[in-house]
Amino acid sequence: MSHFNFEPVTLPPEAARLRTAVRAFCAEERANGGFKPAVGAMVEADEAFSAKCGARGLLGMTWPREYGGQERSSLERYVVVEELLAAGAPVMCHWVAERQSGPQILRHGSERAKREILPRIAAGQCYFAIGMSEPDTGSDLASVRSRAHKVDGGWHVTGRKVWTSFAHRAHYVIALVRTSGTPEQRHHGLTQLIIDMKTPGIEVRPIYNVYGGHDFNEVTFDDVFVPEDMSIGGEGRGWEMVVGELAFERSGPDRFMSSFPLLVEAFNEAGPDPDRHTAVELGRLVAHLSTLRRMSSSIAGLLQSGHSPVTEAAVVKDLGTTFEQETPEVVRRVLPVMPNMPASHGAPDADYATLQGLSQMQCVSYSLRGGTREILRGMIARGLGLR
Amino acid sequence: MSDMREEMLRTLDRIVEENLTTAIRETGEAGTDAVSTPLWSALNEAGLLAIAGTGGDADVSFADAMALVRRAAYHAIPVPLGEAIIGRWLATQTGLELPDGAMGLCLALPTQSIRLAGLASRQDGSIVTVARGGHGPVLLAGAGASRHDQLALLDVGAASVTLTRNIAGELRETFLVAPPHAGQKVLSAVDLPGAETDLFAAGALLRAVQMAGALDRTLEHCLVWVNDRVQFGRQIGKFQAIQHQMAILASETAAATAAVDQAIEASGDGPDFLTIAVAKARVGEAAGKGANIAHAVFGAMGFTREHTLHFSTRRLWAWRNEFGGEAHWQGELGRLFAARGGNRLWETLTTRG
Repeated sequence: MSHFNFEPVTLPPEAARLRTAVRAFCAEERANGGFKPAVGAMVEADEAFSAKCGARGLLGMTWPREYGGQERSSLERYVVVEELLAAGAPVMCHWVAERQSGPQILRHGSERAKREILPRIAAGQCYFAIGMSEPDTGSDLASVRSRAHKVDGGWHVTGRKVWTSFAHRAHYVIALVRTSGTPEQRHHGLTQLIIDMKTPGIEVRPIYNVYGGHDFNEVTFDDVFVPEDMSIGGEGRGWEMVVGELAFERSGPDRFMSSFPLLVEAFNEAGPDPDRHTAVELGRLVAHLSTLRRMSSSIAGLLQSGHSPVTEAAVVKDLGTTFEQETPEVVRRVLPVMPNMPASHGAPDADYATLQGLSQMQCVSYSLRGGTREILRGMIARGLGLR
Repeated sequence: MSDMREEMLRTLDRIVEENLTTAIRETGEAGTDAVSTPLWSALNEAGLLAIAGTGGDADVSFADAMALVRRAAYHAIPVPLGEAIIGRWLATQTGLELPDGAMGLCLALPTQSIRLAGLASRQDGSIVTVARGGHGPVLLAGAGASRHDQLALLDVGAASVTLTRNIAGELRETFLVAPPHAGQKVLSAVDLPGAETDLFAAGALLRAVQMAGALDRTLEHCLVWVNDRVQFGRQIGKFQAIQHQMAILASETAAATAAVDQAIEASGDGPDFLTIAVAKARVGEAAGKGANIAHAVFGAMGFTREHTLHFSTRRLWAWRNEFGGEAHWQGELGRLFAARGGNRLWETLTTRG
């Protein structure tokens, strides 16, 4: 009767202890001036903070010990992730690496890649960017043109990637490139390659976003050498790899927690005894958030049991980003404010007017990053057997 | 899924198959006695009215009982099975004695607290609207002789009852509670602090679970339709516009499931206010969106009495308003979280893990 698999999960007792520990860590960091809560989830970068997360064993927790992990459950990781986001912590440095690149390498990478890279991600000292989109390739990902041709001991990559978040500080980019065939052959002939950003022939140019922030980049590859053992899943399996990776990218709490710091400030602004209209509107957002947490933790449970819940992840991301985008809209109706431009992107102030300002400009990106709403709905329709 | 649950659901499916036709549904919507029907007798004889977790003796959990309620709502059965089950569950939790059979639940909080004893005159009574299928005592919360909160079972006696129907065609009865007026008497009662809140929350959980069941059926109706119906030379399910509508409907249904599962789990030992508030608010919203999409996808066909889609969508529209609509429960959540303050929002949300 049910089309999707959102089985209930019970968080293990260790998860509760972990939650308390992470919450205390974030409170301490905030108190010591380590950070101010930011909206947007994973947009603030702080190398020292990521390294501290690594030192405390909060990164790569589910991975084998031999690769720097702690062999803990996906549910424990889920708790850590949502606590970091709830605190509005500056997690950008390690985020992509820990969320999807690391797991991808662990499952499909070479032994060398696992040994060289995973322990550094787990230490919070190695950052990744995702090289999927290109100037002529947005949602139509199978049309990528960047090419890799075989040379002695590896490949030479030539091409261009855009909207490559954090490439200017990342140590590696995992790029989807064409190793054979033509763009017309779609899913065939694609390969995922781990490209070391220090390799000669790479140029990174900033693309500033609507509020002047620097997250996006254009990355140009000109005969960039990639060793043989830095492919993921082997030659020609790029499409399959990308699809599997997206289940990790789309289902996490980062797909509904982006506006959480604004919701906190809205409740503070509303005070302990809000009028009925305000209570109803803010209460509605709480009902959505609580339900999304439930759905996302259920996916963590599926990942734990070895499933790849691609459609369920699309459902959570579509509902989650809708909620993230609705939050500033609802909040501005019940608690009117003239939103402020953040003083500087690197150091946002956590007051209500500034969070509202940043949310307003930022939230349009939530339903674009990690797959547009329209693409997700197509995937859900496929899950329903309509495509 | 437990074997017990599967067996119960199979039994229910079989009873529905044998006892429910569109003609019977239509008759039911004109009748005033849902519990004198062969369908009700069959449910009773199969032991589905007094199942465990709700006073029966079998190895049936509360979650199993709610799975049964959900499936019954999926079938849009025109009898108050859910009221009987949730009422029995609450009575079992609190030690209230209950007779077998149907019982009524109040669908809205009374505008003034109900007094079960010591009334000086009819003017001290409270008006209530209940769901009970035309028969049986009414489970309500009020103040007993010692002014303590009580959960009680009231024999309605010969009180003058105004009959209405909700938009699903389900019988609703409004009358004045003022025992001993018109032979009304309290059949049994237990002291229960917060009885009114618990009873109302239990009803809200019931309707949330039922709406999830009706959404299951609505989605299924739509999937069959978009695969069958051909326009412009294609099944309409092949059009992207329809696919996206279906994706939203399925996502809302998934969210409804998550919200009710969460509330059911948290309510094993009694109604859990917070997760039930979340469920009734979230599922009510899904119900409205879902029914709208279904009718958009079905076109004029879905607007006919002949098609059976309306047995599900009219229930969604009716149920989202009973035991507090979305705004009621959203308001409860808003006040609860505001009282604790923004900085404790996350802590409150994660109390249960």
